[in-house]
Amino acid sequence: MFEVSDIVATYGKIEALKGVSLKVESGKITCLLGPNGAGKTTLMMTIAGILQPRRGAIRLDGMDLAGLSPARIVSRGVALVPENRLVFPQMSVRENLLAGAYQRRDRAGIDSDIDRMYARFPRLKERREQMAGTLSGGEQQMLAVARALMSRPRLLLMDEPSLGLAPLIVAEIFEIIAELNRDGTTIFLVEQNAHMALKVAHQFFLMEQGRITFSGTPGQLAEDEVIQRAYLGSRRAAG
Amino acid sequence: MVDLVQNTIDGLMIGSSYGLLALGFTLIFGVMRRLNLSYGPSVMVGAYLGTLVYVQLAAGPLVVLVVTVLGSVLAGLYVERLCFAPMAAGAGVASMVSSFAIWMQLEQAAVLVLPRHTYPFPPLATADPLAFGPFYLRVDGLIMLACALALSAGVQLLLYRSRVGLALRATINNPVAAHLAGIDVRTAVVFAFALASAVGGIAGYLVLATDQQVTPMFGMWATFKGLIAMMIGGLGSIPGAILGGLVLGVVEANSQWYFGPQVRDLLAYVLLFACLVLRPGGLLGEAPSRQQDTGRRGA
Ligand SMILES: Nc1ncnc2c1ncn2[C@@H]1O[C@H](COP(=O)(O)OP(=O)(O)OP(=O)(O)O)[C@@H](O)[C@H]1O
Ligand SMILES: [Mg+2]
Repeated sequence: MFEVSDIVATYGKIEALKGVSLKVESGKITCLLGPNGAGKTTLMMTIAGILQPRRGAIRLDGMDLAGLSPARIVSRGVALVPENRLVFPQMSVRENLLAGAYQRRDRAGIDSDIDRMYARFPRLKERREQMAGTLSGGEQQMLAVARALMSRPRLLLMDEPSLGLAPLIVAEIFEIIAELNRDGTTIFLVEQNAHMALKVAHQFFLMEQGRITFSGTPGQLAEDEVIQRAYLGSRRAAG
Repeated sequence: MVDLVQNTIDGLMIGSSYGLLALGFTLIFGVMRRLNLSYGPSVMVGAYLGTLVYVQLAAGPLVVLVVTVLGSVLAGLYVERLCFAPMAAGAGVASMVSSFAIWMQLEQAAVLVLPRHTYPFPPLATADPLAFGPFYLRVDGLIMLACALALSAGVQLLLYRSRVGLALRATINNPVAAHLAGIDVRTAVVFAFALASAVGGIAGYLVLATDQQVTPMFGMWATFKGLIAMMIGGLGSIPGAILGGLVLGVVEANSQWYFGPQVRDLLAYVLLFACLVLRPGGLLGEAPSRQQDTGRRGA
């Protein structure tokens, strides 16, 4: 199980996370909802070690991750697909995948994982020698996911994987998320698209202004009136 | 016409050392996105240690070379530790200004240790120039050119065919993403500084051994030549750095011959200006684009 407790993170004087606690069940898909500026990306970057928390604990199966370097966190089995993808634009698709496996030393395993990524994302295979910066947004998102998977994470973090993508591609991404989860990867994802998230996620958290203000199952989420209005578009409000 | 060809040959040879200096510059600029003005002065420190063992211990050329390169690397890492490691991402100007301060410090240190103005360096080659019809090829110049081409090919191979090269290029592409991929960005940066300083140290040795002397001004000279050659060739491009150095060398050699040393330096700046106006990214560099958002912490 993955757990963060009482995380506080700041940018200078701005307190972006004001004591965030949540639990992510192993083998499940957990979704974090929240308005712009709530602190979702800050939480993801803090878990990944890019930002250091002021306070609080981050635990994966009992191991404490807070304070470790990002590379150590990757080697402990946590990989983040960052907001806006952040592929390496002047490196080929293949090199992006190799970089994702940087913590691993098993040459043969890396090669076979690259082939598995090509099988899962055929469009990456066709473009394997192409510079990642020249891929379409959807292809870059696939590459960002594949790059994160190359470290063989137990916990896959995804920060708004559907951002800026056409509905068809979004559906494809969510299909992949469900598939990865069926294969045993625990997924913790940030998503603004609550309708899509409702189709795959097992557990929801809502973050507002640096705090968790709701947690529940998809059923509870769909019943909550405030969330209805803000994230699912209530019929009453619309009509 | 004979003069033009001969000048061009000489220019290519000295220009190859500019190319090496630019290569080091471009590596540091690539990973840091900041200018390291102390780059030349750290090579000067290496060269001072080189001349020290040459004068005091009568060391042979190979020992002088090794000491020069190691000294440059140590001084380069010192600069990294002081001016680059502590600065937050986005504090590019702070790094540049502090690297200027360290430049002054290194220059003063060199003058304190060896107060006379010039110190000898072992000659690179004592053989007579090779004659081809009306043209002469200096042996030390040929060595310089060969070293520059071999070294730049080596660095290119290292960057594109090795694990540490992958880490370096990933860091150059996007430091936050490199962190997320599990790359130890700090190690990659230190490696880039060490590699750049080693290349600079070799370039410094080649130039100084050709001149057979070193002065405290060498630091400034190396920073200027490297910087101009890098900007002509294109920021971030290794073939560009070498090409920029060769072009600068050829233009300098010809303008020196036809117009004298004042005009030579003026023309180097005119050339730089023309490049920046006509091809802002440099001859082989990427056209400048809006820096993509690299996220929060930088390197
Ligand atoms: N680098 C930064 N420096 C200062 N403040 C920041 C920085 N990054 C984020 N913030 C602030 O922290 C708060 C949380 O930002 P964050 O990016 O985590 O929100 P988010 O929930 O991911 O929003 P979005 O849905 O728009 O991606 C915001 O108020 C934001 O302005
Ligand atoms: Mg965000």
